Amino acid sequence: MEPLCMSIKGTISTGYKDRRHFIDLVVQKAKAGLRAEASRGYLGVLWWILEPVMYMTIFYFVFLHLFQRGDENFVIFLLTGLIVWKWFISTVSSSASSLMANVGLMNQVYVPKILFPLTTVAVNTFKFFVVFALYLVFLQFTETKVTWAWTFLPVVIVTQLFLIVAVSGFLAAIMPFFPDLRVILDNFLLMLFFLSGIFFDISRLPESIQGYLWLNPMAVMINMYRQVLHNSVLPDLQQLVMVLLFSAVTMFFAALIYKHFDRIYPKIIH
Amino acid sequence: MTSDKDSTRILSLENVGLYYSRRLRFLKRSRFWALQDISFDLRAGETLGVIGRNGCGKSTLLRVVAGIIAPNTGKIIVNRPEMRISLISLGAGFIPHLSGRENALLSGMLLGATKNEILSRLDDIVAFSELNDFFDEPVNTYSTGMRARLGFSVAYHLNPDVILLDEVLGVGDEVFKKKSTEAMKERIKSDKTVVLVSHVVPLLREVCDRIVWIENGRTQAQGDASKILELYMRSITQMNKQPFSEKQEK
Repeated sequence: MEPLCMSIKGTISTGYKDRRHFIDLVVQKAKAGLRAEASRGYLGVLWWILEPVMYMTIFYFVFLHLFQRGDENFVIFLLTGLIVWKWFISTVSSSASSLMANVGLMNQVYVPKILFPLTTVAVNTFKFFVVFALYLVFLQFTETKVTWAWTFLPVVIVTQLFLIVAVSGFLAAIMPFFPDLRVILDNFLLMLFFLSGIFFDISRLPESIQGYLWLNPMAVMINMYRQVLHNSVLPDLQQLVMVLLFSAVTMFFAALIYKHFDRIYPKIIH
Repeated sequence: MTSDKDSTRILSLENVGLYYSRRLRFLKRSRFWALQDISFDLRAGETLGVIGRNGCGKSTLLRVVAGIIAPNTGKIIVNRPEMRISLISLGAGFIPHLSGRENALLSGMLLGATKNEILSRLDDIVAFSELNDFFDEPVNTYSTGMRARLGFSVAYHLNPDVILLDEVLGVGDEVFKKKSTEAMKERIKSDKTVVLVSHVVPLLREVCDRIVWIENGRTQAQGDASKILELYMRSITQMNKQPFSEKQEK
């Protein structure tokens, strides 16, 4: 018996014709996730701040005192890169396994599978906002002060959000087919961490190398945040468009995969 | 006559087959056909029973009808796409660290109800579950019975257009089990469309209008409840009389 056709005419209902309901569900699931996380330890919501502070303090000490590199300016340069990178890495990394993590649920009810990476994005974006807002306040006590250029921050943030949604959605969609990819992915992300210009200024490298490094959208994004925050330089329109274009293409392929495998994932994930 | 039948038809399965593939080793997969050839109609307002022995594909079938998984062969024709078809699963998406209230909301939304629908029914859900003050305590402080009561109350109050039930009619301790079974039976007997999967013959006889009998992933027979149940019973008794070796050959 060969598989002939797989057709479901009309949509088998579950109320997802309603986009509003889907958005409500993402928000509700993200809220629930955040609340559950907060109620786990004694310090609760404080961890959303403490954890990034701890993370950044480690880099601060390693680079400023252990490697004896640079001055206050370098610390600010480093922190901006780290905060922005952390939003990306923590979201992408946990989104990648989000379909596998929810296999029980997707066998009990029908939900559009993009729900799972989107929930992860929502949770981590909320945490990023908390940390980033505090960081902007912190910056007022350094040489970096608020300028008019900061009004362009939302543009930069939204662009990065698009990038994160696209990459998260895409990785979540393909990971169930290649569970072995996880190890490769983790190492690839580690490589990106070193190549995104978090510890060094890419524009100071030889031109020949720069061209390759700027192909990495996260390198572009991190540089853009620094330009806006520290140098009052407005985001480069061409760079913004390139990142958005990359995200749109990635999202398009992800959408194709979700459309085709939406009701097949529960059968293949074990 | 045909058009009259069409109008009451909610969905039809035509020669539906479905396999699960298992990874054996690198690039090598094996297929297990859980459903091979299933055909039946689901009509508005009826209670359709699905009977069959363990492992015949009943639960897989329910998940196909619920739209959770897609078949590999055959067709599903949905005539009433606006209807909400829900598989009643207790405690779908429960998060242990959250309160009963928060879980009721989340679980209900996952089962397809809108946020406002659930919020407006929260009082009924608490009352039915008899959880009282525990409703605002984290679910991980609940006993198994309490958790089942919450799950049942949520599922029961969502009231989708088509209810898909896998065995569970009643849950919890004896008192709550009686209450929940009665509530479910009442709903089944009303003009709600229900698909009930079970191997308990007396229950199916009591509540079902029609029965689909499934054997090894194929529709063996379907039709009037009492007639099909009689056929099913006869085949079971016959099978028990047969020596074991013959059964295997079959």
